[in-house]
This record gives sequence, structure tokens and C-alpha cells, in this order.
Amino acid sequence: MRYSSVDNFTVQELMAVFLARQLKDGDHLQVGVALPVPEAAVRLAHIMHGPNMELIFLGARMNVHQLEQLPLPEFGWDNRVVRWAESYSDRGHRFDQVKDWYRRVFFIGGVQVDRFGNTNLIGIGNDHQRLDFRGPGSVGTATLTAHVGRYYIVLNNHTPRLLVEKCDFISAFGWGDGGPDARKRLGIPGGGPQLCITPLCVMDFAEDTKCMRLMSVHPGVTVDDVKDATGFPLEISDKLTTTKIPSLEELTILRSRVDPHGSLRS
Amino acid sequence: MERQSVLATEDEVVNWIEDGMTIAIGEPAPMAMVRHIIRNRISGLTIIGSGIALDYLIAGGCVSKVISYYAGGGFGVAVAPSFRHAAQTGELEVWECDEGVLTSGLEATAKGLPFLPWRGGVGTSLPEVNKDLRVMEDPINGEILLAVPAIHIDVALLHASKADVYGNVQHQGGPGWIDLFLRRAANRVAVQVEKIIPNEEVRSDAWATTISNADAVIRAPYGAHPFYSRGHYVQDKKHLKLYVDAATLAVTGEQTYIEEYFRRHVYQTTSHIMYLEVIGITRLLSLHEY
Repeated sequence: MRYSSVDNFTVQELMAVFLARQLKDGDHLQVGVALPVPEAAVRLAHIMHGPNMELIFLGARMNVHQLEQLPLPEFGWDNRVVRWAESYSDRGHRFDQVKDWYRRVFFIGGVQVDRFGNTNLIGIGNDHQRLDFRGPGSVGTATLTAHVGRYYIVLNNHTPRLLVEKCDFISAFGWGDGGPDARKRLGIPGGGPQLCITPLCVMDFAEDTKCMRLMSVHPGVTVDDVKDATGFPLEISDKLTTTKIPSLEELTILRSRVDPHGSLRS
Repeated sequence: MERQSVLATEDEVVNWIEDGMTIAIGEPAPMAMVRHIIRNRISGLTIIGSGIALDYLIAGGCVSKVISYYAGGGFGVAVAPSFRHAAQTGELEVWECDEGVLTSGLEATAKGLPFLPWRGGVGTSLPEVNKDLRVMEDPINGEILLAVPAIHIDVALLHASKADVYGNVQHQGGPGWIDLFLRRAANRVAVQVEKIIPNEEVRSDAWATTISNADAVIRAPYGAHPFYSRGHYVQDKKHLKLYVDAATLAVTGEQTYIEEYFRRHVYQTTSHIMYLEVIGITRLLSLHEY
């Protein structure tokens, strides 16, 4: 349901609400550091429709559905987010139960993302020993993206330098060189990237080619805006729509219970 | 004969460390020992570590190679400044991996194996940019996997909540990130703790003991400052910003601020307790967890 009174929200709020709607009750949601949109999205989904979700932050596993507020942390590595943990996934045996990660949902960014959803956190340049831009490193993404049931690429920018034809280095394998069996051919069990969400639009991956395909543009954004900001020829879905705006209820819960300090509004 | 205490000073532990060794830095960061390594001007180290703690050692001139899955900066800096600069100029060798690859190499060492297979990283550039990782065909089912060689550690330096003098360590709020992997792969492990507790307290809850037989226990209250220590304090954002800003300026050629930072916090102090005096009790007590 749309409320005409909701017309004043930021693009990050729009992205968080859109992402929250993709998450299903029972999902195990793992969010890394410095990803405020997914951090807000998992909390919003947990409150609104996910009483059986598990939130995994900084190695701590929690279900906090009953809490009045699930505020975003003040800063990355704010250890206080683990205060409601029921257990720790890093108690000396991280990665020991990857066979069950099909229940997990993961979120990833990158310094480059290519048309097949491969992502790069290593750096930009030709020579690995002398990179033009040294990235932060792969964190746990090579392993997580190989095994989780599905994952979402979430970007803070949408530029031709970020969304490129081919990554200089790949730290997380998405759909490789394309095709629905790209992962299966390498024996990679996880379900792969599902969507790429940016400040301009949402893209999915075409069923036959696994090329990134424009699925919806955010309100006020044109298809040409997206094409101009993308470093590869973008397929356009024949079901292209405008991204649905947040409902009054979603925005109210987001602002009052998840993001009271306005991290997504600054 | 009496049971031997492993209570040690920063000096005793730093004497284990020689130029060129492989040293692991845990998380929460054992910053008292990190500062003591810089203070003693040890160099040529291979560091297994992450984030800004790793950056300190690089800025301090101690590191020639890093084994790291993550060197993020935080505070508006996506990549730790000294790490970024040293890696871009070729001064620093980066052994590229992710957490799953790294822990596989550490477990190989712990289990006395030459390598362990791992799936994460198949299809990525990791085996191209890190020649130690080999793409292999599994002899059972013919699957494509990475062979991760055993990663050896001379000394692992960790920070925890409490320990008795016999090296029984108990973390509050769970052990650090991959600390138990580091411990299992290390030849020697030294653990800084917020508090020394009686052996009776350890035995009252033996299941809470996360590390036994540590080779050294160092009493270091606020020893992870300016980072967090679970159950004790949060990170000191103001202080970290001071470091990140100084290190960021240093890589643009303006060395004054990082030199002043290290002079004041590392070289002009001789011990962790002196460092705490420089930081001051008002600041330290403001970092309570809740």
C-alpha cells in the first residue's frame, strides 16, 4: 500500500527498505562492517516480518525481535552490537559449518563490480605488487560468497569506474564469465549474487546470461542516467519498473526503531 | 618443586621476537605489545593481522610482509593509510587471502599437515596474486579446490579479559576474531589480560577457559587501547582519529604529526603503564562499554 504522505526520504532509506523486503523470515543474515544500508535493512526486516531471523554481526549470533529498538551501531567495530548475542560463531571454530550456510544471506560491496556480479576488494591496477589503488582486502567474502544461499551487492555509488566491464582482480566470484551454470562448473555451491542495489537503481541478473539487467530505477532517475553511470552495456528488463517507495509504516519503524540518529539521512 | 608462573613483562615477551619473524596480532588488538615492538625498533616482520593495529606496525617501520584478509581504516578512511601506501609503492609484500583461506592455512599448521583444501576463493584472483595458493583437483571426487599451505607463526600476541598466572585464559564475551586459530598455529603465545585472577576462579568455571597453557601472561589493563576489549571498554574514537589523521598526512609526505604521535605515545614512554598515564584516567574511564 502506498501512502501519499510519504514523499520525503533519502535514497539510502529507499535502498534499506527495498532490501528489507527481499529478506524472508527464517533467513540467517550476516552483515560485515561499514555497510549501513544492509545493517538497517536486516534490522527493519527482523522487526517487521522476521521473528525467526538470525542476525550475525561481528561473529555474534542474535535474535532480538522482541526488542523495542535495534539501533545501528555508532561506528564500525562497535562491539556493543554483540550485547544481545545468544552465541558466538567465532568461538574457535569459524567456518566449521559451511555446509549449513545455504540458510545464510550475505551483503557485499566492492571497489569494482563487473557485469557478471564478480566483485573486487583487492585493488585497482595491473600489477598486484604496485596497485594504483590498494583496496582493504577480501575480508571473508571469497569464502562467504562461495557458500551462502544468496547474496546482495550493495553499493554507495554508481559510477563507470565502479561498475566495470571486467574487474582488475576478483575477490568474490559472482557469475564468472556468465551463464546460469557458471558457478556449478566450478563446483561452487552457494546461490550467487541475486541483485545489485545502488543509489540509482536495482539490477538483477538475466536468467540465461547472468548479465546484470536493469530491473527498477529509483524515483526521479531515468534509464539514461543509469546507462551513463554504468561502465558496461546494460540489459534492460522488459518488466522495468520504478523502485517502490517506502510505506509510512516502514519509514516510521526505520526512523524510530532502527536509525533514530539518522545515519541514513546524513 | 612448585608450579611455575608464566606471568611475564612486556620486555620478557619482546625478547622472544627477532627481526624477520612471523608474528600474529589478535583481535581485540594486543596494543601494549604492539607499541613495545615499535618501541624496540624490531624490523622485517611478517605480520598476520588486520585493520589499524596492523597499520601501526607498518607506520612504525616494523613490517616487510603482511598476511591479511582485511586492512580497513574506518573513520572515513576505507583503507588503512600506511598499509595502502606501503602496498602501492611495493615496499610491502601482501600475502593475499580471505578469512577462510587464512584459517585453513593456520589449521594446517595446527594439525601438522602441509596444506588443507578450501573451496572459498575458487574462481577468484586469489591463486593468481598469491602463488602459494594452488588450484588442485581433489583426489576423491575430482572437485576443484584451493590447496592452502600451512602458515607458521613464531609468536602470537593476543589480548583477553583475564587469566591466572599459569596461562589459563578466559575471554569475556567470546574469544577474539580468529585468535584461537592463531593460538593453535603458533609456536609461542603471549596473552595480555585486563586482569589476573586466582587459579580458584579459573577452576570454578573451567568451561570458560578459552586458551590453556599460554606461554606468557602479561598484566595490561586497558592494554587494547585505543581499541575495544569485550566486557571492559569500547574503542577510543578520538584517539584513533588522531592516529589515522597523522598516518594519512605521513603518506602524503608530511611526517611531523606521525613522528609526534609515536614520540609521545611510544618512544617517550617505556612501558604500558606509562602510556596509560599519557592517555590519562579521565579519557580511559570515559570508554566504558554501556
